[in-house]
Parts: sequence; C-alpha cells; structure tokens
Amino acid sequence: MNDPDFLAHAASYLPQLLQGALTTLWLSALAVVCGFFAGIFIYTMSVSQSRLLSTAARVHVSMFRGTPVLVQLLVFYYVPSALGLDLPGAVAAAIALSLNTAAYQSQILGVGFRSIPRGQIEAAVTFNLTRRQTLWYIEVPQVVRTTLPALVSEMIDVIKASAVVSVISVTDLMRVGQQLSSSTYRPLEAYSLAACFYLGITTLLSITGHVYSRYATRRG
Amino acid sequence: MMNNLITILPSYGAAVLVTLEVSVLAALLGIAGGFVINALRLRFTRSLALPYGFFVWLIRGTPYLSQLVVIYFGLPALGVTMSAVQATIVSLALYSSAYFAEIFRAAWNSVPHGQLEAAQVFGISRWARFRVIELPQAAAFALPLLANQVILVIKESSVASIITVPELTMTASGIVSATYTYIGPYALLIVAYWLLTQAVSLLAQQVSARIPFLRKTS
Repeated sequence: MNDPDFLAHAASYLPQLLQGALTTLWLSALAVVCGFFAGIFIYTMSVSQSRLLSTAARVHVSMFRGTPVLVQLLVFYYVPSALGLDLPGAVAAAIALSLNTAAYQSQILGVGFRSIPRGQIEAAVTFNLTRRQTLWYIEVPQVVRTTLPALVSEMIDVIKASAVVSVISVTDLMRVGQQLSSSTYRPLEAYSLAACFYLGITTLLSITGHVYSRYATRRG
Repeated sequence: MMNNLITILPSYGAAVLVTLEVSVLAALLGIAGGFVINALRLRFTRSLALPYGFFVWLIRGTPYLSQLVVIYFGLPALGVTMSAVQATIVSLALYSSAYFAEIFRAAWNSVPHGQLEAAQVFGISRWARFRVIELPQAAAFALPLLANQVILVIKESSVASIITVPELTMTASGIVSATYTYIGPYALLIVAYWLLTQAVSLLAQQVSARIPFLRKTS
C-alpha cells in the first residue's frame, strides 16, 4: 500500500501517534518518579557510614552512567527471561529507565543536599526530629527547589532515552513511527512526524520548567 | 561458561574497534562542527542567532534514534543514500555538534569580559588576546564537558545496532541469539562499554592534570 500523499493523510495517523506519545509519556513519568525516590535512596547510601553501602551506591552510579541505556534495556529484558522470569517489555523498560535515571538523579540531588546549611540539620536534631523526618520535611523540599531546573532537564533526557524501548516492542512514539513508516512506505515523513512529537513534548516540558523556575525565584 | 567467554572475546575485540571508529570519527567531526558553528555564531551574532537557536533546539529536543532513522531510512527519499556506518557517523556528528557548540559557547562566555577590555587597554593584539587570555581559560572550562560529551557519543553509538552496524551492542545481541547464552555476553558488553567510558574520563583527567593552563584555578 504505497501512499502517495502522506501529508494529506497525516491527520489520520494522529490517533496512533498520540497513543504512542502517551505511552512514551507515562513510561518516562513513571521512570522519573521511581528514579527520584531511588535517587534519594542511592544518595543516602553514598553518604552512609557503612563502607559497603557507599561502595554499592558508587558502583550503581558508575555502571548506569558508564553504559548505554540500550544495553541496560536489553539486559533487563533478556536476562530475566533467561532465568525463567518473563518480564513484559513495558515492565523491563520501566525498571531499566528508573534505575538509569536514579543514577543521574542521585548526582543531581546530591548537589542539592550538599547545599543545605549544616545548621539546619543540627537544629532538626535539637528539635528531636528523627532522621527520616529531617530528610523528608527539611532536606527534600529544599533539594527539589534548588535542583528543579536540573531535574526538568533530566526528565527531558529520560523522554529522549525512552525512544530505544521501541526495540523491545513497547509501542511508544518511536515504535509508532516505525509502524507508520512500514505501512505507508514513507519513512522520511513518518519518522519526521514522530520526531516532531518528541520535539513538542520536550519543548513544552522545558518551557514549563522555565516558567516555574521564574515563578519560584520571584516568590523567593 | 568461561570457555564460551574466551571464544567470543575476538568478536568483541573487532566490535570495540567498530564502536571506537564510529564514535571517534563522529566526535572529532562533531567537535570541529561545533567549534565552527560557535565561531560563526560569534562572528555573525545578529543574523545567525535565530538559525543557531533553531538548530540546537531541533537536535537537543529529539532523541538521537529518531535523528538516525530520519537520516538512514528517510533521506534516501530525497536521493541521499548512505551505508549504515556512514549514516551513523553523519547523524552522530550532527547530533553531537549541537552539544559541542553549546559547550564552546558556554566556555567562551565563561571568560570575564573585563579581562578582554583590560587587555585591549594595554594594547594587546586581537590574536594575542585570543591565544593568551581567551583560549586557555575557555579550554580549561570546556575540557571536562567535552570529555563528558565524548562519553555520551560512545554511549549513543550503541543505538546504531538498530540499523545493523556491527558495533558492540549488535555483536553481543548476535552472540546472544546464536548461542542462547545471555549472562556472559551481556556482562562482557557492560564491561566493555564501562571500560571505554572510564578510559575517556581518565584520559581527560590526565590531560588536565598534565597541562598547566588546563588546571582550573578557581
């Protein structure tokens, strides 16, 4: 079915593309949220007294930052199935992306944690706050505020990195682009259209980040 | 298991060379491209501000994979046909040139303007200002960022396995599907990439430690 007039039919591909964009979005959002909590966990591990925990945190960060996302994805998809645990593509993708962004977010959040004045923590101890209360009510809110621009750009990176999940047959935006390309025999238009969707998503996110950080600085 | 790993080592050796060839070429072209783009932007500040912004926005706003498939599968429709390796090098160079240009831009902006004005007052020539004042400081600023970007290029080159470039990831996947062993080949793959990226960051550290002006003073 050779489609001579791709652009004229572009509107009819919209539902498919939107569906793919939605998959890309929820997968990335899930990864970023899980990665945020895992990132805090990894950061607290890295500053813990235990040599074992801090080494484990360092190894995690180094491994996930030193190897391609695609490789991590293949490992989380194929190795469990070799061990008799069949993970659906979307689950493997969510795990791989979460652990990947956790490594990056732990570094970003670490900068935020280190910028908190020591006195605040000491004050919290004086007020008998538990370690956990200090972390969640005193440190984390400030860390998020100071590192928000970096977190937004990490979110954009995760959305872009998520394009490789198309190889383990998750029907994300990239995969929809491939399907359109092979059903219409118009790869240039199909892939460009998918790229435009990515561009739209990342642009919207980056504008939102800018607007929010301007609003936050004005509020002081 | 150990025996299997030893028998697949030679193919990994060949694959590392392909990964290195593709990423080094792309990174060199990307650095040169980024440098030229930034130089043009500095020279024609007004007229190029918009095209430059558009280029960076386009490249940084889309996944590398989508750029690769547009170039490899899409461009033949416009009469531009490339082999998988060529398409990878071209797309990776184009992709990284936007990031490299941004690094050079930030590096140039990191040199305080007052220094150049002071140099001008002292009658130091334009070329000497560039060579003695701007370049060393900009280079010290840029070096760690450049190394980081080269690491990103090496990692993104894994995506070329999707269009069957016989680099590391493609080779490992081939061995996995031929032998039905998963853990060994994938472990070796992780180690190979980790060593490559670690080597780049060590190299950058060595370079900045050895060359006096690259040591950051601040």
